[in-house]
Amino acid sequence: MNAQVIMDGLIAGSMIGLGAIGITLTYSILRFANFAHGDMISWAAYFALATSTALGTLAPGLAEPLGPFSFGWSLPVGLLAAIICTGLLALLVDWLLFAKLRHRGGAVIILVMAGFGAALTLRSFLEFVFTSKPAYFTNALQIARPLLGGARATPDQLLGLGIAVVLVVVVHLAMTRTSAGRAMRAVSENQALAGLAGVNVAKTIRIAWVFGAGLAAVAGVMAGLLVQIRPHMGHDLLLPLFAAAILGGIGSVPGAMIAGLIIGLAEALCVQFIGAEWRAAVSFVVLVAILLLWPQGLFGKRTT
Amino acid sequence: MPSPVPALQTIGLVAGYERDMPIVRGIDLAVAPGELVAILGPNGAGKSTYVKAIAGTVPIFDGSVVLAGQDMTSTPLHLRSGKGLGFVPQTENIFTSLSIAENLQLAADILPKAVRGLRIGKIYEMFPDLAGRPGLKAGQLSGGQRQMLAVARALIIEPQVLILDEPSAGLSPKIVGSVFAMLKEINATGVTIVLVEQNVKAALTVADRGVILVEGQLRHEGPAKDLASDPLLAELYLGAQPEKKLVR
Repeated sequence: MNAQVIMDGLIAGSMIGLGAIGITLTYSILRFANFAHGDMISWAAYFALATSTALGTLAPGLAEPLGPFSFGWSLPVGLLAAIICTGLLALLVDWLLFAKLRHRGGAVIILVMAGFGAALTLRSFLEFVFTSKPAYFTNALQIARPLLGGARATPDQLLGLGIAVVLVVVVHLAMTRTSAGRAMRAVSENQALAGLAGVNVAKTIRIAWVFGAGLAAVAGVMAGLLVQIRPHMGHDLLLPLFAAAILGGIGSVPGAMIAGLIIGLAEALCVQFIGAEWRAAVSFVVLVAILLLWPQGLFGKRTT
Repeated sequence: MPSPVPALQTIGLVAGYERDMPIVRGIDLAVAPGELVAILGPNGAGKSTYVKAIAGTVPIFDGSVVLAGQDMTSTPLHLRSGKGLGFVPQTENIFTSLSIAENLQLAADILPKAVRGLRIGKIYEMFPDLAGRPGLKAGQLSGGQRQMLAVARALIIEPQVLILDEPSAGLSPKIVGSVFAMLKEINATGVTIVLVEQNVKAALTVADRGVILVEGQLRHEGPAKDLASDPLLAELYLGAQPEKKLVR
């Protein structure tokens, strides 16, 4: 195993980890696996692409690369727009679909199937508008720079890794040190008791959607920057995302990120030692193994 | 002199899980400020459903709930604690994944920022057992300590009325004694308490008044000290005169 494999695994894993945090938050609070989360990642990438392209066209100076990076100010602005728009999209989907089913006391399987439906609709709409042709935030070429141990990484990749680490700390602090975070954890454990304690459960659920969608937006923009933008990009990440959320332990923010890095490393090792065609199978193997051997995950609550 | 406004009143309360099969069937009850009332009755009498309906976790089909003269019947669940109603459910009454401090902070979050710390400090003075290890996960507490934390959580808001659903359930006799002593102390500070209890003897020892529900209706009530020796109590518990309306 060489240092480059580890670097590749960490970079892919940081994207998986960010997406998995969104999954784990919505899963622990809403008690269903939201298969539309992957498509929120895709939508976020396209929101950012549309905004940064528009800004780059209106003010070409904003598209000029910033320092060692491949993108200009138009992309951070696009990311901000993506966070807001993806949050609003998540609230819209909840209002149109999931909230109605929740109020009718819909079974979990109905919510899951509704999530599948929402995912298909969102993906098809993206494909209809943007076609399935890959798109890129920037055409600038970046040369990977040498790091410790012979590993190489581009400035964009290192930035993505850094953002992921910072976000995990920020989200973890938000969940443990703020009233909104406490409310989310309380609602995830016992909604009726949270209501009795004065927590507005409906508002807390909305905050969880926006939180999850915001993280999906960052994951989407990172994935778009480091790989490419396609309508199926989020859907293709779905299995690693769920594997990471379950491996980390449902509800655990640091757990989701650490598990994301583990999945990313496992995929990189698979590419190196087995073959790239088996990469997608790694998440599936990890997911099945966790469910069989360690269902509560690395940092999850043991249920009795 | 006009009689004081009841701290808590239910008027013709009909509640349950299905509209065509209510469990609580028209209960009228007024609890005076500072009173400690024990709600008693055989299994299936509707005691827990009655207090859950007051707290807002069970649907009300008819009648009303009035807290200190303010109609609370359709007040959303999360706003009830802010109006001065504290409720301690029988089970799952603390957040086990949160620490002791977080359980208290969560309940204090509805208060103005300036008073949150003061209230939590006051609670720690009242419950020194909890103050010693605020960072401990609530799930690691013993049964009695959990009950203490649940009561502490409800007291953070300084409720006008504190309702407890079977606080002695699952506790050892020694712990039950300390829980009831704690309730008596809380009541002595002026908090009105409504207590649902299966442990009739213990409940009547601390209560001012006992109320007996049978089949979702109020069948008998009286001062706790009289009720303890009232032969009707046993009859109602054994179901000897279920249809006879004794007091209304």
